[in-house]
Amino acid sequence: MTIKTIGGHLLFVAAFLFFWELMAQQGQLDPTFFGRPSGIAAYLWDGFFVNGKLWRELGYTAAGASISFGLGSLAAIALGMLFAAVPKLERLADPYLMVLNAMPRIALAPLFLLWFGLGLGSKIAVGCSLTFFIVLSSTVAGTRGVSQDHVVLSRTFGATPRQLFFKVTLPSAVPVIFSGLRLGLIYAMLGTIGAELIAAEHGLGQTLAYLQATFSMDGVMGILVLLAMLGMSVTYGMARLERFLLKWQ
Amino acid sequence: MNDLAPLTAAVTAPAIELSRLSISFGELLAVQDVSLSVEQSTFLSIVGPSGCGKTSILNLLAGLIDGHRGQVTVAGKQPAAGNAGIGYMLARDSLLPWRTTLGNVCYGMEIRGTPQAEREGKARHLIDRVGLKGFENAYPKALSHGMRQRAALARTFCLTAPILLMDEPFGALDAQTKLQLEDLLLELWNTERRTVVFVTHDLAEAVALSDRVIVMSSRPGRIIADIGVTLSRPRSVRALQKDAAFHELYAKVWSKLEEGLTSRDH
Repeated sequence: MTIKTIGGHLLFVAAFLFFWELMAQQGQLDPTFFGRPSGIAAYLWDGFFVNGKLWRELGYTAAGASISFGLGSLAAIALGMLFAAVPKLERLADPYLMVLNAMPRIALAPLFLLWFGLGLGSKIAVGCSLTFFIVLSSTVAGTRGVSQDHVVLSRTFGATPRQLFFKVTLPSAVPVIFSGLRLGLIYAMLGTIGAELIAAEHGLGQTLAYLQATFSMDGVMGILVLLAMLGMSVTYGMARLERFLLKWQ
Repeated sequence: MNDLAPLTAAVTAPAIELSRLSISFGELLAVQDVSLSVEQSTFLSIVGPSGCGKTSILNLLAGLIDGHRGQVTVAGKQPAAGNAGIGYMLARDSLLPWRTTLGNVCYGMEIRGTPQAEREGKARHLIDRVGLKGFENAYPKALSHGMRQRAALARTFCLTAPILLMDEPFGALDAQTKLQLEDLLLELWNTERRTVVFVTHDLAEAVALSDRVIVMSSRPGRIIADIGVTLSRPRSVRALQKDAAFHELYAKVWSKLEEGLTSRDH
C-alpha cells in the first residue's frame, strides 16, 4: 500500500466516525442501539488502561482459542496421517466422521458446558470440535494429492514406506494442511467465543453477553472491534508463518 | 587361471537379458515375444510408435510392473523395484518442489543410503557438470524446463547404478534445448560408459546417442529391427546433424519403422 492509499483509508474512516458521532449527538442514530465512537473509545481505554479488566478477558479468550487450536489441529493432523498410512481405517471411520462433521458443533456447547463446567474446559471442547474436522479434511486432501511421479521415482530408488511418507507424502501435503490450519484458527476463535456467549465466567464472549444484557452498546461495539482486530492479527501471523515455511511454492 | 574364470564371466555377462518376454495388462497384450540381450557399456535405444510397449519394458526392468511371461534378468537378478543396480530417469523431471537443486540431486543417493558428506560432494560435482553451478539453492519453480531436466540428469548420474533406464527424458523439450541436453548426456555417459536403455520416439535422437537401436512394431510390440550404429565416439549431436553417415542410418531406421507400421495395416 502506498502512503496515498493509506491516507485515503484513514480519511474515509475518520469521516465515517465523525458522521456517526455527529448523528448520535443529534439523536438521529440512537446510541442505546448503536453506541457512539467516543463512547466506544472511552470503554476500550478504561478496559485496557484504567481498570485493566479487558486484558484478563482477552487472555481467557486467547487461551481458549489457542489451546483448542493446538489440540484440535494436532489431533486432526495425526489422525489424517494415520489415515494416509492405513487407508482401510479411513474407509471404516468415514461414515462416523461425516455424521459428526454434519452436526452444527456449536449445538454441542450446552452438552460440553455440562461435562466440562463453566470454565476454560468447555470453551476448549467446543473450539477443538470445530478446528478438528476442518484440519482433518484438509490433511486427508493433502495426503491424497501426492504426485504419482514422485511416488514412482521414489520407488525406483527403493524408498521404504516410511521414507516415502516422510520425504514425499508429508511435505507435499503441507500446503493443503496449512490452508486448513488457517481456517482452523478462525474456527477455534469462533468456538471459544460462541461457548463464552452461551455461558462462562470470563472471556470476551462472556463480556459481550453481559454488556448486551445491560444495554451497554459502547461496550458491545468495543468488544466487536477488539474481536475483529484479534482475528485479523492471527490471520496475518499465520500468513507470515506460511510464507516462511512454504517459500518453495 | 581357474579362479579368473568367474571374473571373466561376470565381465562378459550381458547387463540385461530378455528372453521370449511378453507383457500384458489384463486382456491387452502390450509386448509380444521380445528377446533381447544388452551387453554391458552399451547405449541402446528402443524406438517405436506410441503404445508399442517400450515404456512397459522399461518399467518391467525397473520392477515397477509385473504381469509378464518369459525370462528377464537385470544385472544378473530378477527385476525388483529399488534395485540398486538401476537408475531410472522418468519422462518428467519429477523434481520435489520443496527441495532445492542440491536437495533434489541428493534425493536418490539419500534413499539409497549414501552417507551425507559423500552425497553432497558428489551432488555438487554433478551439478557443476550439468551446468547448474550457482543454482544449488534454487527451488524447481525458479528453473526452466531445460534446467530442471539437467537437475534430473545429475540426480540420475549421481547413483552408482551400472544400468541406467531412461524413458523419453527429453521428450517435452524444445529442439534447441534437446540438442544441448543430448550432448550433455553423451558427455556424462562417455566418462563411465554405463549400460543405458533409452526409450524414445525420436529416431534422430536414438541414432545420435546409441550404439544400437531397437525398432519395435505397434501393439503388440515386437522387435522388427536391431540396427548397429557405427558412428565413431565421442560424438557431438550437433555436429551429427550435418553428417551424411548419420542421415543414412536415420533413413535406415525410419524405413524399418515404416515397415512395422504398414505391415500392421493388412
